[in-house]
Amino acid sequence: MVRKALTDATAAETSFVKDFCVPFLVSSQNDDGGWGFHPAAESRVEPTCWALRALRNVPVTISQEGLRRGWEFLHHQQLADGSWPSSRGERTGSWVTSLACSILSDATESAASVTAGLKWLCNDYPRDSSLWRRILGHFRSDASISEHDDSFRGWGWTPRTSSWVEPSSLAILALRECPEERRPATASERCALAVGLLYDRMCSGGGWNCGNPLIYGVPGEPLVLPTAWALLAVRDLPVHEKKSESLAWLERSYESIQSPASMSVARIALESYGIGLPAAKRRLCELFDAQEFLRTTQVVSWTCLALSPKRNWFAPREFSS
Amino acid sequence: MNLRNQQLLPSFQRPTSRVIIRRASDYQRELGAVILESLKEFNLPVRGKSVLLKPNLVGLDTLGTMNTHPAVIAATRESFLGLGASEVFIGDGPAMDRDTEAILESVKLKEYVGPLGGFFRDLNLDDVERVPLATRASRLKELYLPKTVLGVDFLVSVAKLKTHHWAGVTLSLKNMFGIVPGACYGWPKNVLHWAGIDRSILDINAVARPDFAIIDGIIGMEGNGPIQGTPKPAGVLIFGDDPVAVDATGCRIMGLNPDKVSYLAGAGTLLGHVDPLKIQQVGETIERVRAPFAVLDEFLQLIG
Repeated sequence: MVRKALTDATAAETSFVKDFCVPFLVSSQNDDGGWGFHPAAESRVEPTCWALRALRNVPVTISQEGLRRGWEFLHHQQLADGSWPSSRGERTGSWVTSLACSILSDATESAASVTAGLKWLCNDYPRDSSLWRRILGHFRSDASISEHDDSFRGWGWTPRTSSWVEPSSLAILALRECPEERRPATASERCALAVGLLYDRMCSGGGWNCGNPLIYGVPGEPLVLPTAWALLAVRDLPVHEKKSESLAWLERSYESIQSPASMSVARIALESYGIGLPAAKRRLCELFDAQEFLRTTQVVSWTCLALSPKRNWFAPREFSS
Repeated sequence: MNLRNQQLLPSFQRPTSRVIIRRASDYQRELGAVILESLKEFNLPVRGKSVLLKPNLVGLDTLGTMNTHPAVIAATRESFLGLGASEVFIGDGPAMDRDTEAILESVKLKEYVGPLGGFFRDLNLDDVERVPLATRASRLKELYLPKTVLGVDFLVSVAKLKTHHWAGVTLSLKNMFGIVPGACYGWPKNVLHWAGIDRSILDINAVARPDFAIIDGIIGMEGNGPIQGTPKPAGVLIFGDDPVAVDATGCRIMGLNPDKVSYLAGAGTLLGHVDPLKIQQVGETIERVRAPFAVLDEFLQLIG
């Protein structure tokens, strides 16, 4: 009986991918090859990366021409310094560089683009943890507000700002997904510092928020999305007490998740660790049916990835050193 | 948006502003009538126009103390429709969590407004347009801003009466941080912190120019706001077509001196009035509704 219910649930999820997610993504690709956050919205790098990642994992045959046009869009958006901007016309790269490098990492014809992107990423140090800022920090009257260890350095959302959990996690994933020969020499060191930052910024009791575990002595509340991305970033790294705590927090929180975005990424994270999905008040497909108004490309893509029978989500490679 | 039609005027060239204070003891009352009657006092030019309500949606909040209460958002939307607005959108770009849908679920906005279908806009993910800044308070020279914000006829900041651990207070001007799109600047919008929160507030408001401001002070937040503070019942709603004057009034109700709030003092020179002699208070008087808010030690100098 239980096996029959599980089989039915899996079949329903596969149908949801085939009947809703894939048509949504295929039909919302723009003429320029990219995707916007919503159907008919202007193409942007982030939704294009998520759509491509989802579509290459779906259990149905889709047009390779569509995928090729998506990759071409990404190539056209790359800035001269190797980074990618978050929106068309922006002259400065941003955190979406990690997403673009990840999705292009397997394509031989993208080798130069990815190499340039990863180089930009590894040269982009957050400003808050520079040696000068750390020295100044010792003399600030508000130095006790956050209790961060600023010797750890991750990545910011935009260049020359502060380290945050999600862009750091996505950069770690990008550097670990890309082939060794495309990584800059500093990649391993940057990843190690960023992993240290993630553990330093974990909330008390497990889980992450944007990167503020403590403000004015009050513990910050963890959130599902940053926790799931951080867990994915450290998945193949050695066992760590904080990783276990955060996995346990995500498992506990799964039941009460109320949005498809959080449930999709939480599910990907938990299943990546081989953890069976906890019971939830509503299943992912049901959440989607209830939420008609925020069907965005990245949420449909995450759902597609989470429900697709192919479990080829993120494939980290070892560092040689 | 009146970015196109309004010039920045030094305060001495501006006419006196009018701010209405209304008592509202809880969210159970008929807020619609209070809000509609208050809006009517201003004879707002919204008939046949598109309106965007920009509430303060900060994070997961089942108690209704961190975010603008959904009852206020719903009643404001109904009121603007009642005044003849052709469309009334609700839009925000939450700063700390990119899962806007999870925030909306926690706030239970749908239970008050009905299906959000075509009129909710996640400003974090909106199409954007490069906008040169009209002022140089910060080092930012331009921002990419949501086309929804740039395209509507009438922009309303629907804020919460709260203290803020970096800026002192967060009211209708600070609420406009939420129009800056996370997809460009992240969660949080850290580039604004590096440019200086106070200065960024001025630059954003000088370019966005909200046409009207409403502050939900029925239950505010004191202490370590805007997220981790303590609920503070103040029992008021504040309305005005000069957001600076509305915020100055909010401060006075909180027992704080708006001249000592850095960004408000700056806003008082170019964006509106802080000077009480230039603000006509209508409805309740400040003295009758004053509810002193606790502040962090760093902001004790604001009291008075």
